[in-house]
Amino acid sequence: MSMEEFKDRNVGVQNYRMLDLEPNPETGMDKFKQVVKRSVKLELFTGLKVTFREMFNALFRGEMHTTKYPFEKLPISPRYRAIHEMKRLLESGHYRCIGCGLCEKICIANCIRMDTRYDENQRKEVSEYTINFGRCIFCGYCAEVCPELAIVHGGRYETASEQRASYSTFEDMLTPLDQLAQQSEYPGFGAVSADADEKIKKTPLAY
Amino acid sequence: MSSQKKEITITIDGKEIKTQWGKTILEVARENGIYIPTMCYLTKVEPIASCRMCVVNVEGVDGMILSCQEKAVDGAVINTNTADIWRERQKIMELYDVNHPLECGVCDKSGECELQNKTLEFEVDTQEFTAKDQHRPTQNWGFISYDPSLCIMCERCVRVCNEIVGDEALQISVGGYKSTIVNVKQDDDCMECGECMAVCPVGALVSTDFKYSSNAWELSPIPASCSHCSSHCQLYYEVKHESIDNPQEKIYRVTNEFEYSSLCGAGRFAFDFENRVNAKDKEAFNKAVDALKKAETIRFASVITNEEALLLQKISQISGAKLVCDDAYAYSQFIKAYSQTSGKRFYGSDLKSLSKSQMSIVLGTRLYDDAPMVKYHLATSVKREKAQVAYLHPIEDKRLQNLVTKFVKYEPGSEEGVVALLANILIDKSKLDEDAKKWLDNLDIGYISAESNVSEEELDEIKAMMWKKKSFTLIAGEDLYKHPKAKNIAKILGLIDRYSNFELLIIPPASNTMGVSLICDLSDKASGYTVGYNSVGDFVMSSLGDGDIDMPALNQQEGTFTTIDKRVVPTNPALGYNGYELLDIAREAFGLNYEYIIDLTSQLPEEKGFKNIAFDNLPDEFGIDGENKRGYLIDNSEVSSKLLPDDTDDIESFDGTIVYLCNDRGNFNPFTNKSKMFENRGELRGSKQFATAAKISDGDIVKFKVADIEFERVFSIDTSLKGTIALNPIYDIGLSSFAISSYRFNKAKIEKVGRSNE
Ligand code: SF4
Ligand code: SF4
Ligand code: SF4
Ligand code: SF4
Ligand code: SF4
Ligand code: FES
Repeated sequence: MSMEEFKDRNVGVQNYRMLDLEPNPETGMDKFKQVVKRSVKLELFTGLKVTFREMFNALFRGEMHTTKYPFEKLPISPRYRAIHEMKRLLESGHYRCIGCGLCEKICIANCIRMDTRYDENQRKEVSEYTINFGRCIFCGYCAEVCPELAIVHGGRYETASEQRASYSTFEDMLTPLDQLAQQSEYPGFGAVSADADEKIKKTPLAY
Repeated sequence: MSSQKKEITITIDGKEIKTQWGKTILEVARENGIYIPTMCYLTKVEPIASCRMCVVNVEGVDGMILSCQEKAVDGAVINTNTADIWRERQKIMELYDVNHPLECGVCDKSGECELQNKTLEFEVDTQEFTAKDQHRPTQNWGFISYDPSLCIMCERCVRVCNEIVGDEALQISVGGYKSTIVNVKQDDDCMECGECMAVCPVGALVSTDFKYSSNAWELSPIPASCSHCSSHCQLYYEVKHESIDNPQEKIYRVTNEFEYSSLCGAGRFAFDFENRVNAKDKEAFNKAVDALKKAETIRFASVITNEEALLLQKISQISGAKLVCDDAYAYSQFIKAYSQTSGKRFYGSDLKSLSKSQMSIVLGTRLYDDAPMVKYHLATSVKREKAQVAYLHPIEDKRLQNLVTKFVKYEPGSEEGVVALLANILIDKSKLDEDAKKWLDNLDIGYISAESNVSEEELDEIKAMMWKKKSFTLIAGEDLYKHPKAKNIAKILGLIDRYSNFELLIIPPASNTMGVSLICDLSDKASGYTVGYNSVGDFVMSSLGDGDIDMPALNQQEGTFTTIDKRVVPTNPALGYNGYELLDIAREAFGLNYEYIIDLTSQLPEEKGFKNIAFDNLPDEFGIDGENKRGYLIDNSEVSSKLLPDDTDDIESFDGTIVYLCNDRGNFNPFTNKSKMFENRGELRGSKQFATAAKISDGDIVKFKVADIEFERVFSIDTSLKGTIALNPIYDIGLSSFAISSYRFNKAKIEKVGRSNE
């Protein structure tokens, strides 16, 4: 391929126009005259008019444009990868995580650690689970690898902390039981697709 | 036989290979780096041939051939991987996956599962077939759990249990998709060695203790040697941080090169005997330095590395302190006496040749409890070579019934007579010189036979067992070394070795007894101010954590051990140690300025057969055919032999209530007893007859004194025992367990002092 067109830096036709400005004042007298002229003509208020209009609209007509952060937060894209959430099963309320350890293994920042044990119901219990957010790079690998859609990225993006390392434990990340009904499904990468129902196949185990 | 060594040429996948006749196609392929997938194959047992994954094409032969079973023949042209074969293997994997639970996410085997790997390798991503699911609940067999729904019926577990362990505890219950493995001995006789679990390619057999506590890939394997008995089997301690809150390393489980070698229950499950200390105790250290400086005796246990034994030897050379190690002293004296008549520095047999022996005599050991690896190899000889086994001991062992052809009971104390009787039937009299012949003729067979209670018919039967056999092994054990007539017993054994077809295997009684007996100049009795290193003394340095200063346990040390095979094998520390070790004390007290204890590895005495090889250069591996290439073998040179045994005149045997010192249930010593799975408060176990003779009953608390130790134990009746000998373990008496110098059978007055509440 010829590089001609890339090498041609003379891009397009220029139509710059000189503004019709007064010449800059040169002498002290000229400068003085300019100041007096501008003050008397109240040019300042021409500019401030917009400001005052918007202020009036905001204060008295309820047309505020500013988000009152940190009291208000903008909605964030559902695919944004912020602080992790641990989901629960909707029916039983039991945490979804089965303790497979894949997230711990795949984590590129090595910031996930979990303890598991054999519990009284002969199940693998996740006895503790932590993420060190001081190290997490929010790459999303953990959410991607999770076979249970248990760990997902939520919308909580404030990660400032008083300590260099800030940990979250299992309890911090799990959907609180009283908010189970409000638990929303993660629509980002790895989630079941919208047409999942049509795609599903009968397992051969049904006889 | 000559055709066995015949050179043949075969072609595998276009590669021309020269090899010897007698190997299977799979073996030849593996030796030459050609990959043939297998599921059921296990190098250490005979081909199982249950999976059909190893199929290959041989040109000119119809159909597919099982490469694991079929011997390679001269001129064969073999293809291991055609489209048809691949499809066949894929089909097999599809069948394995039928109804297999999709539970890799929680399965302990995930990450090292052969089913998982091969399912991916053969691109099985759907389950096309189905079978009616069965209700198959998981079973708990003690240390081991079995989940039948994960089992692929490869039969590996059954095979090792029969062919390697010799317990015959596992059987197949056949029934198509209902098939399961059943443990017919789960309540009593299965020795819980975990061999079945180690070879299981899937997560069907797992450790109950380890279950769900960690994923395989999180653990770091530390190559080491088991420190509990003289076999010093190869193993890996697998470590990981303890928990999120506790970053300290912890051993989660033990694994091994299960394709080639085996472990017993103690090696596999008694791994957590480490001695944790938080910091260096300067005060105790100073006391230890002073104590070692003024010690007149250093008494130690042979649960020690070769290097520390050499360090003690150096200390004793500088300070003049006597070295006392009760087990090793008795053993070294025994071997010395044996050499005097046999002309060999060591016994000639080892575990591998035992497994190929066609007739074996076991004498003076409760083999099942004393030396599991010897029992394993004896079992292999019975299964593969149809070996005949004569088991001579005062106590019959029901657990060995399936291996032993003839049990011969003798009176405790009469071992010298029994050995003389054996000499009389085993020695080839035509080879004897005058003096030896005279000694043999002098034996009063009638008297000895009467005193030891071994009849001439029984001896004839043993003789008959040798008929048509070609290789013979005589296994001598722990009962003999501390026998009052040990020396003469050893001499007679030496004579048998010299003038018969029998090779001897004289089992080193505890851990590194062999190493210690070679490295240290030992004395028999402690006297004066005594420092005990894992033994009793006025100042005690203990790896159990109960002494005047703490010492690291053997899973926290590096160094080498000398095994029953006369092999020097390396071990590495699985866990760190924060306190002082022997070298620190030796450095401070005697200026022995070695940086690391392994600097001594290459200094092990060459005149005793050790080699000048640095620790870091010791190999620690097995060949692809299972050949043991760990460490190096000690030279077994000839020594001059002239002596003859003394006359065997008075045989002393005892009657009444007798207590036999015997650590049972795979619990070897206080270190195994420290581990959480083994921790056990020992009981005195005896037969009903014993109870009657001692006027006690099941559940009584009894008091007795043997080997100068007062015991107070619960008595329990064991219906598998007979006679008036009770078994008394010594694993729960702390370090004094390593300071016993008496014969294992002891007459004891049993006194009832109460009833146990249970
Ligand atoms: S987002 Fe990435 S770095 Fe953060 S925990 Fe998940 S895998 Fe680890
Ligand atoms: S990947 Fe998912 S199921 Fe597995 S341990 Fe992590 S959160 Fe739990
Ligand atoms: S046995 Fe293997 S394939 Fe089966 S669940 Fe366990 S890891 Fe997965
Ligand atoms: S339990 Fe394991 S080793 Fe035994 S047959 Fe089943 S899969 Fe094979
Ligand atoms: S205790 Fe002995 S037989 Fe058992 S694993 Fe250890 S070294 Fe091997
Ligand atoms: S490896 Fe040959 S049949 Fe299984």
